Amino acid sequence: MRERLNTAPFGYLCITNQGVITELNETFCNMIGYTFEELLDTHIESVMSVSNKLLFHTYFYPFLHLNGHVEEMYLSLKDHEGKDVPLLLNAKYFKQDDVEGVDCVFMKMGKRIDYEQQIRSAKKHAEEALREKNLALDKLELLHNEIEKKQIQLMKLNTKLEKLSVTDSLTGLKNRRFFMERLKEHIALFQKNNMPFSLLILDLDFFKKVNDTWGHLIGDHVLIKLAEVLNSTFKVEDIVARFGGEEFVVLLPEANKERSKEKAEELRRTVQSAEWRIDQIITVSIGVATMQNGDSDMTIMENADLALYASKENGRNRVTHKDDL
Amino acid sequence: MTNVLARNNVKVLGEGEKTIIFGHGFGCSQSMWRLMVPFFESKFRVVLFDYVGSGKSDLTAYDPEKYNSLYGYAQDLIEIIEELELNNVIFVGHSVSSMIGMLASIKHPDYFESLIMIGPSPRYLNDEAYIGGFEVSDVTELLDLMEMNFEGWASFMSLLAMKNPEKPMLAQELEKSFTAVDAEITRQFAKVTFLSDHREDLAHSTVPTLIIQCSDDSVVPIEVGEFLHSHLKNSTFRLMEAKGHYPHLSHHEETVRLINEYLLLP
Repeated sequence: MRERLNTAPFGYLCITNQGVITELNETFCNMIGYTFEELLDTHIESVMSVSNKLLFHTYFYPFLHLNGHVEEMYLSLKDHEGKDVPLLLNAKYFKQDDVEGVDCVFMKMGKRIDYEQQIRSAKKHAEEALREKNLALDKLELLHNEIEKKQIQLMKLNTKLEKLSVTDSLTGLKNRRFFMERLKEHIALFQKNNMPFSLLILDLDFFKKVNDTWGHLIGDHVLIKLAEVLNSTFKVEDIVARFGGEEFVVLLPEANKERSKEKAEELRRTVQSAEWRIDQIITVSIGVATMQNGDSDMTIMENADLALYASKENGRNRVTHKDDL
Repeated sequence: MTNVLARNNVKVLGEGEKTIIFGHGFGCSQSMWRLMVPFFESKFRVVLFDYVGSGKSDLTAYDPEKYNSLYGYAQDLIEIIEELELNNVIFVGHSVSSMIGMLASIKHPDYFESLIMIGPSPRYLNDEAYIGGFEVSDVTELLDLMEMNFEGWASFMSLLAMKNPEKPMLAQELEKSFTAVDAEITRQFAKVTFLSDHREDLAHSTVPTLIIQCSDDSVVPIEVGEFLHSHLKNSTFRLMEAKGHYPHLSHHEETVRLINEYLLLP
């Protein structure tokens, strides 16, 4: 057993608490290329570089002192030619009878140290890459925030544009496009739930004369004023729009024939008695149609138009319902 | 306002008119003085502390810019003295702490009565005729060794900091707190220490100084002690019988005796 320890596949040393080598095996001698006699009774630090000595003093001795053992300490010793031999050291303090000291076992780190170096440089690369990644991420986040801000601006702009695209710029009422879409929706509702509604088409009487006599500016003023009358006469659920020129339309949800005639009559009176600030009587002719089975957007518009035509034919400033024709 | 006493984990022990402050060296903490303190507690007020980045100091106070030179550490020492309203301090510094104490004393000579340097060096690197003991390649090797052994080193320092080896759970907790940041701090402290050069400052030091050096110091060559002695006014040089670089741990009685003789204590 003792014989075999001499050539066992690890370097063995025993040192005093002061670091003087008192026992060693052949494997250790071969590891660093010294003879048994050259190493016996010398200080272990005599085969160490100054940095390894410092490591020994700041780590090995205090740790041993504190715990009685040191595990997996990495260090290197100088071989006979002065070359570094990287080693892994386990050490343990012992006391037997009157003898005390430190048993040290060394393993060569030949290939392992290459792996370690590779791992260390890979770790450094990874850390560097991580730093760069984080920097890039920060930049990306900044960009993202900017995009978000722009998107909000864009959405606001979009809402504004949408509003503009369905609004008549002169009167501020909804335009024809908007009205036709709502009309189609109400037809669909009627087909689905049988929800009734009626349609008014109104036309300013003698509007050409207003323009010719007072000029287009006054003409525009009359149109704006009429829009105000329409807005104050109808509820918000009612859909009021300028259809084109001096022609306006109103959709009255849930209104049957009687109700729609009442509302149309109310409007006609309000227009007649409104203050127009020009020396000309302003009146409207109104045609009304109520949605019936089989009607489409085209037919109900035609029906209301026919009723309007009748109002005009019969002397203007009056209300006609299609069903009364 | 930073809490200086918490930042540097300052401990005040003992009785006495005079104050003795112990400053630990690189890779250590105030617990390195545990064998020495009992000899001084009865005669002095003893102040122990950890440098920021070491022991149980406040790691969040670590500023890589401030501690990129020994002046940052010297400033902290001055702040500890001011916070405790001390004067005529005897400062005992091991290794790099000797220079930190000297830099503080140059700025405020009136704070110090004497400096006791154990294993000091104004420059660890060789420089033409000057023998510091280290080549640049040695410092690189040391940084590598530290990195390769950091796990073990960290657990060792955490054990020391806890001083509770019988409670390994606590030490494990603390060990966890030794993260990559600490490796970076220890690495910078090593760099700052071993690449420092304060030979020019020696001429500005006026406080009486005792230089204690181990015979056959494993880190600092004997020439460095002699260099210091010849460049420091009012200095006394004592070569110890002890070998190594940590006489306050390995031969604390001889270390205490030399300090007592210098301070003319019985």
